[in-house]
Amino acid sequence: MTTTQKTAFGQTVHHVELADWLDVATRHHDDGFVMFDWLGVEDAGRPGAVGQRHAVFLHVIDPRTREGVMLRTELAESDRLPGVAHLWKGARWHEREAAEMFGIAVDDEPEHLLLPDSFQGHPLRKDFVLASRVVRPWPGRLEPGEDNTSAPSRRRTAPPGVPDPSWGPRREEETQ
Amino acid sequence: MTSLPPRTRGVIALLEANCTVCMICARECPDWCIHITSHTEVEQQPGSARPRSRNVLDRFAIDYGQCLYCGICVEVCPFDALHWAPEFGYPGTGSIEGDGAVAELVHERDVLATWVEKVPPPPPLDSAAEAAPETVTGTGRRPGSLRGRT
Amino acid sequence: MYKAIRGDHAWEPIPGGIIGGWGSARRKLVGPQVLPSLVVTVSARPDGVVLNWGTTYRVTVLELGLACCGVEVMAALDRLPDLGVIPVAGAGEAHVLVVSGTVTDVMLPAVIRSFEAMPEPRYVISVGACSNTGGPYWDSYCVTKGIDQALPVHVAVPGCPPRPEALFEGLRALHGLVNA
Repeated sequence: MTTTQKTAFGQTVHHVELADWLDVATRHHDDGFVMFDWLGVEDAGRPGAVGQRHAVFLHVIDPRTREGVMLRTELAESDRLPGVAHLWKGARWHEREAAEMFGIAVDDEPEHLLLPDSFQGHPLRKDFVLASRVVRPWPGRLEPGEDNTSAPSRRRTAPPGVPDPSWGPRREEETQ
Repeated sequence: MTSLPPRTRGVIALLEANCTVCMICARECPDWCIHITSHTEVEQQPGSARPRSRNVLDRFAIDYGQCLYCGICVEVCPFDALHWAPEFGYPGTGSIEGDGAVAELVHERDVLATWVEKVPPPPPLDSAAEAAPETVTGTGRRPGSLRGRT
Repeated sequence: MYKAIRGDHAWEPIPGGIIGGWGSARRKLVGPQVLPSLVVTVSARPDGVVLNWGTTYRVTVLELGLACCGVEVMAALDRLPDLGVIPVAGAGEAHVLVVSGTVTDVMLPAVIRSFEAMPEPRYVISVGACSNTGGPYWDSYCVTKGIDQALPVHVAVPGCPPRPEALFEGLRALHGLVNA
């Protein structure tokens, strides 16, 4: 199995192919890295991102030497992430978060506990739009001297998190 | 009354005389809870060639049901029109059926002006600190005169 | 704080709230009890809040501490009996529901069940920005933007979080509302 290492700011990250994820994690666990720190997902779905869709980080620590190792793998949209919860129990919550919040298919599916059953979408993805920001008018859109009765004289600035006016469901045309 | 420390964040008062309707507080508020509308008035000053236009405040409302008391608006106001006051006893009361309690927490211009008298004077500066350069006699009279001396 | 039980009864009302435990017994209470002249609570406190409603009503409060505002209300709980307000451990005994903290969409059914388990007359005090309007999480994907979307709110205490003394002012406002 091939892993490449990149060190930056004193932290070494081992880049692992997805096919080797479970093997490398098991090997580290058996080598003594039994303390689980965190398992996080980085969504590459933001504009201008490179690489596959999701990056998964796993940070585990050897309690004897206090040494930590950071593993990273990349997942495409349709890949399944092998679960490591049988090695580190604490990873269960993090894999549940990855499954519900990011929409990653995880082997040995964790039960659906974080979001309400009726929730649609995966909220922690970068392209998940917060609907409240679309619906609620921003008080700062008014320019000094505007009294909100007339149409704006130029294009209004939008605050962060508000998408283009073309986002959202469209009302059907009445003629149809 | 419980004695509160200086700079306690209780309620935000609007000093209308200082407000130029720059909209910076409304834009910076993370909760979008400051609502400002204004209009432009044009007046001709005697002796000047062009008429001067200025922005006149119509509505300035802070929704205290939404406000998270972060103080960003107070800090960012360039004209010191917003000030903290340590008052905290202003709950919104609704009808007996339970309507309108949260709506009562929107404080309009007139209510915000009543909080101004509750704004305490700024706490005194630390007596053990270095004196501010502009207070040291003999320096700071002209722009740039403190260069190299602070 | 709550237990999510998969199955028929998915949401149990919070049996203990903050105080009491899972095993607290629930006494049946039918309406406000009138305790004439037994509980006279007139206290002149240094902060100036004086309530004299211990002679007319037995005011029982269930505190739903959902988040940080819950800590501020907890700090006020031991001073509440001096005002004639008694914190109780179950919704079946409480007439005032103090919703303090962020109401998430997963938690909303439990809050509603707590309200429904309360006897009449029942009042709701919403403490803090999160339960008033959603507060700093007004744009979140899983936060109810104010408990007034689901329950009637009689008094809304602003703050993030409000001081315990602000809760006393809220109780004073509720007293004024009920007596008016």
